[in-house]
Amino acid sequence: MTRALYNAARTGLSEILAHKTRSTLSFLAIAAGSVVFIDAFSAIVATYARLESQKAVSGIARMKISQNHGRAIADVDDYQSPPVITYDDVLRLRERVPGLHMVSPEGSSWRNMLEHDGQRVVTRVAGITPEWRKRDFVYDLKGRFIDWHDVDEKLRVCVLVRPAPPEPANALFKTMRQKYNFMGGYDLLVTHNDLLGRVIKIDGVNFTVIGVLDELPPSRKPPRIWWSGGDYKTLAPVTTLMHYGILRSHNSLDVSIDAGDEKGFDEALRLVRNFLKVRYGDEDLFVVENQMDAIKENMARNISSSLVTISLGMLAFIAGGIGIMNVTLATVFARTKEIGVRRAIGAGRGDIMLQFVVEAVMLGLIGGLLGTALGWFWGVPAKVMLGMPPSPIKIWMPVVSVLIAALTAFVFAIYPAWVAAGLKPAEALRAE
Amino acid sequence: MIRCRDLEKIYEGGKAGWPALCGVSFSITPGESVAVTGPSGCGKSTLLNIIGLLDEPSGGGYEFDGLDAARMSDGERSAARLHRIGFVFQAFHLLNRLPAVENVCLPMMYAGETSEGMRRRAHELLARVGLKGKERKTPLELSGGERQRVAIARALANSPKLLLADEPTGNLDSASSREIMDILFGLVGEGMTVIIVTHDRELAVRAGRNIKMRDGKIESI
Repeated sequence: MTRALYNAARTGLSEILAHKTRSTLSFLAIAAGSVVFIDAFSAIVATYARLESQKAVSGIARMKISQNHGRAIADVDDYQSPPVITYDDVLRLRERVPGLHMVSPEGSSWRNMLEHDGQRVVTRVAGITPEWRKRDFVYDLKGRFIDWHDVDEKLRVCVLVRPAPPEPANALFKTMRQKYNFMGGYDLLVTHNDLLGRVIKIDGVNFTVIGVLDELPPSRKPPRIWWSGGDYKTLAPVTTLMHYGILRSHNSLDVSIDAGDEKGFDEALRLVRNFLKVRYGDEDLFVVENQMDAIKENMARNISSSLVTISLGMLAFIAGGIGIMNVTLATVFARTKEIGVRRAIGAGRGDIMLQFVVEAVMLGLIGGLLGTALGWFWGVPAKVMLGMPPSPIKIWMPVVSVLIAALTAFVFAIYPAWVAAGLKPAEALRAE
Repeated sequence: MIRCRDLEKIYEGGKAGWPALCGVSFSITPGESVAVTGPSGCGKSTLLNIIGLLDEPSGGGYEFDGLDAARMSDGERSAARLHRIGFVFQAFHLLNRLPAVENVCLPMMYAGETSEGMRRRAHELLARVGLKGKERKTPLELSGGERQRVAIARALANSPKLLLADEPTGNLDSASSREIMDILFGLVGEGMTVIIVTHDRELAVRAGRNIKMRDGKIESI
């Protein structure tokens, strides 16, 4: 059997070399399937990598409490400011719902004035606690971060976020950035001045810069399915900002929560909602975003789009297989006399069938290898050259792709090979 | 070795079909040389195809080497063609993209011979038919007579008992024809049974027996 396979492979190779154009067309049909397949596989792997990275960097069991700005007001004249979440409420929540991985309050009045060395720029100061860095901390820290001592003692310290140098981008992006980045002055100030250890003024209050967070460039940022972080500029203890009136009493804190694991999420969500209900009554004053479901939906969307790509790969393979069947059938009819000669000198039906199947499988194998090479070229160097993230191509992907290509060729070669084996020797010899 | 009884072959076409053989009966013993002659379309090649197990008769019986051909499976027929029958055709039927030595190796390849064994025997056979030094030439690089010698070497590859030649000198000049005839009748001298379908009177005369056919029937034996 091994010898028969070897001989069939030799004959197949000589046939492939003898009919270069026909063979090349077959290779390309199968190669297209391989390229799409590798791209789809790597897209799925990338999705799962993003999921893992999401778990590690951002967590999955996330929720966020914020004021319900869409609440209907019955009578404008009777309007009263809605209740707010204060820092004390956050501490109480921590106490009432134990076991949460992160309870990170965040308060912001959106536009603040930062002054340094006579230079004034607009910034956004976010009041936070040390819990802020538990999730989505994708920065390089210089100096130190805000600690509990700063929060408890309401110390006037801050951390500045320095933007990453812009990635090569298209002209439109650059124009839009120029037009809408009203904090461009802040970006320039922190980029061109080493402010670590210096005293700056925020809304007229002196703050010492204890740390600088360097934003990671997009290429170094861990991939994620869902991004929960905001556009941070200046961070300070939430208690300090409230104490000095930078955050006013009507500013409600948003609270980002990580329940820790998916299993405990539903119970944590129930307890958080219950806490809000007990604290503020039945009114729909606050919204608790179920971010875990959003993350999962996003992941499902990513995977289903990859599955669509895999279906396209399958279709490409089927098209390639039909191409191989067509080519093999044409070969059978073109080589009818040869089949007659081989039968006359003693080849059995099995020998003829084996010969055509092996020849087609070789077309599939070579096409699969070609497709794998093209798939890698598209997935890594081409995407990098086009400024896209490279596809995570694992070693098993080309192997599976080549095997599927060979299997497709095998399946689609069975019918033509069966036709060839069924030819009657005397009639085949008479063929012109 | 060969026994035909009332062989009939009717090709499909028209209402009643087209009869190529009508009640052909004869026997051939081992080591005989037989020429089958007759005008074109008289059924010579059809008879040769049936004897060579390439085709099946529509009626009558055919025994090859003690086996009833009607009871042989396709695999058994292939095995008989592989090991016991050699074919030489008027149009040579060589694979043009393969060199002479590879053409000769083909039957041995199907017989499962080792690569080394195949090549050694192919070189011996090509030397025997006078093609030493031309083993790597493809059929397109050889003359008609040389191609037919390659075909004979291929037919002898698995040492068959029976050699069937269908108009082996039909496409050759007289000098080449004579050389091919010498090779074929040399094989008879070695004990091989040779059946030659031919129009060539000289070839027919050299055969031990002449079966003359006309209109699908045997005119004389």
